Amino acid sequence: MLPSGVFNRRPQEDMAVIRTRAQWLLLACALAFLVTLGLYAPGHWMNWLILVGVYTIAALGMHIMTGLCGQFSMGQAAFMALGAYTTAYLGTTYGVSPWITLPVSGVVAGFGGLIFGIPALRIKGFYLVLATIAAQFVIMWFIKHQSWLGGTYGIMDMDKLSLGGVELAGPTPEFWWLTLGMVVVMLFFAKNIQRTSTGRKFVAVRDNDLAAEVMGINLFRTKLLAFFIGCFYAGVAGWLWAHYLRSVQPELFTFQLSLWFLGMIIVGGVGSTSGAVMGTVAIMLVDKAGPSLSTAVQDAFPSLKYQVSGAVSLIMFALVVMFFLMIEPKGLYHRLERIKLYYRLNPFAY
Amino acid sequence: MDAVLAQGFLVGGVYALIALGFILVFKSSGVLNLAHAQTVAILSYLLYQMIAVWGLPSWLAIVVIIPLGAVLGVLIERLAVRPLLGQPFLSVLMMTLMVSFLLEGVRILVWGADSFTLPFTPRQGQGWLGTVLPDWVIPSSALAFVVAMLVFVLLMLLFRYTKVGLSMRVVAADHEVAQSLGIRVKRVFSISWALSGAFAAMCGVLVGMVFTVTPVLGDTVLGKGLPVLLLGGLNSIPGAVVGGLIIGLAELLGSHWFSAMKEVIPWIVMLVILLIRPYGLFGEKRIERI
Repeated sequence: MLPSGVFNRRPQEDMAVIRTRAQWLLLACALAFLVTLGLYAPGHWMNWLILVGVYTIAALGMHIMTGLCGQFSMGQAAFMALGAYTTAYLGTTYGVSPWITLPVSGVVAGFGGLIFGIPALRIKGFYLVLATIAAQFVIMWFIKHQSWLGGTYGIMDMDKLSLGGVELAGPTPEFWWLTLGMVVVMLFFAKNIQRTSTGRKFVAVRDNDLAAEVMGINLFRTKLLAFFIGCFYAGVAGWLWAHYLRSVQPELFTFQLSLWFLGMIIVGGVGSTSGAVMGTVAIMLVDKAGPSLSTAVQDAFPSLKYQVSGAVSLIMFALVVMFFLMIEPKGLYHRLERIKLYYRLNPFAY
Repeated sequence: MDAVLAQGFLVGGVYALIALGFILVFKSSGVLNLAHAQTVAILSYLLYQMIAVWGLPSWLAIVVIIPLGAVLGVLIERLAVRPLLGQPFLSVLMMTLMVSFLLEGVRILVWGADSFTLPFTPRQGQGWLGTVLPDWVIPSSALAFVVAMLVFVLLMLLFRYTKVGLSMRVVAADHEVAQSLGIRVKRVFSISWALSGAFAAMCGVLVGMVFTVTPVLGDTVLGKGLPVLLLGGLNSIPGAVVGGLIIGLAELLGSHWFSAMKEVIPWIVMLVILLIRPYGLFGEKRIERI
């Protein structure tokens, strides 16, 4: 809702991704802040920032699949693994340049998504959820049992990424800028999809797929396209993660991670692009507080067994998502909109 | 070969028992309770705590664990699932998953990586059960199989002939219709979750006996239960039994020839079935109107 006295005079204004001057200004400030953050953030925060970037891209894929098209997936981590392994394998075995494998990773993950998305035409709800859980286990089992993919050890010693003579590796400002750039591009695409006919088809299928089909939308094509795009995002995220760590292991891509992505879009607000980003940041902030909390827990109860940090991070994640499901089911994005609305309408309540 | 078949059949019975736990809640409240697996795991660890740490006799521990399971089921329903009544299904599904994370976290905190063999597990060549059965049958699987079949019959009777079972079916079909017919929906929910909790405790005893109590018990239960559930159809009790037997046999036969494939065979069978019969072997196809 626009404030009183502000109108969209042309269709272009109505369609624009960034609508007002204030938004342009805020965006510029935020980008400038994030870019310079790379220069003075301490090492562990740098690591955190890059991980947030990687997860944001994967969560955006979930947002397109689940938030826009309503196709629930609990196998996003496995599709990420497809992308990561593609670049790692092609890079270490055939020496293909990582910049060529970037789209290849995305497409491989996308095709993986297509294969497991085919049942989605006929099933939905619980059945689809279970099919994507099967995708998670089957893909990860396949990767673990292939000797040319390194089995349980994964692929080590990938070459450093370089762009125009600058080496990009590890938690450095350069890698953070690459991550940031990719997040911005992927975010733009995700936003952009929502104002195209494809995006509106996705939403129609989510809201009622039978009605959408009656209106002439090709359900099979639309659902598979949503799977392809969502898994393409996962593949790109996997590519970025693989080049950040310069190695891939099967243990990185667990079922739990897939659920994390689902939790991220729930916390942010299902169906909103900025919500996916907010959810990722929120969940990762909670996760960042995990180690200090687990040492506190360990000090308070010394009789506890080992693995306290893993258990504490599990419990905290569960509690945060439960809180949002019960108290704020529409997510952070909705709350932000409410706050904005309050200030726009002030002093009147409506 | 005979031994493999028999073993597959018996293991299939255990899988059917696991899947029945999911179906019990789904059939009576329309919630797919993914926390069931971790409930089973935490209850079998509780059994371990009672027997090995507090030194209770086994029979007393089993008698105590079943009402405890019922209490846990009711607690989950009251605190986590009931506040979400009427929300979209993803919320409820996610909530049960989060409950399962919570239970797993608590289990890791308290018991860590302990593993344990329940002392009353019947062994080959020992005790009454071990000597009666032929030596290619593992006694604990056989016992679990018998209990699974017994439970199957009892559940069929419950849903078909009792008033409680009938009200559960009505509630699952439509909450509002059930309410207007004078059924106390919330009470039916409590009853079905209590039943499922008690069922989880029993599963904990039997599955803990078959697979031994290890940190991956919950994942095993989930990994075997879900394919069976889907194969049979989400709301069919005979489906769970047939599905369990099929998955058990397919897994044992498959791993007889390709030993590395054991853990994914259930999932692959499930995916194939999904492509051929999307609502499982016995599931009801939902007819939808716009």
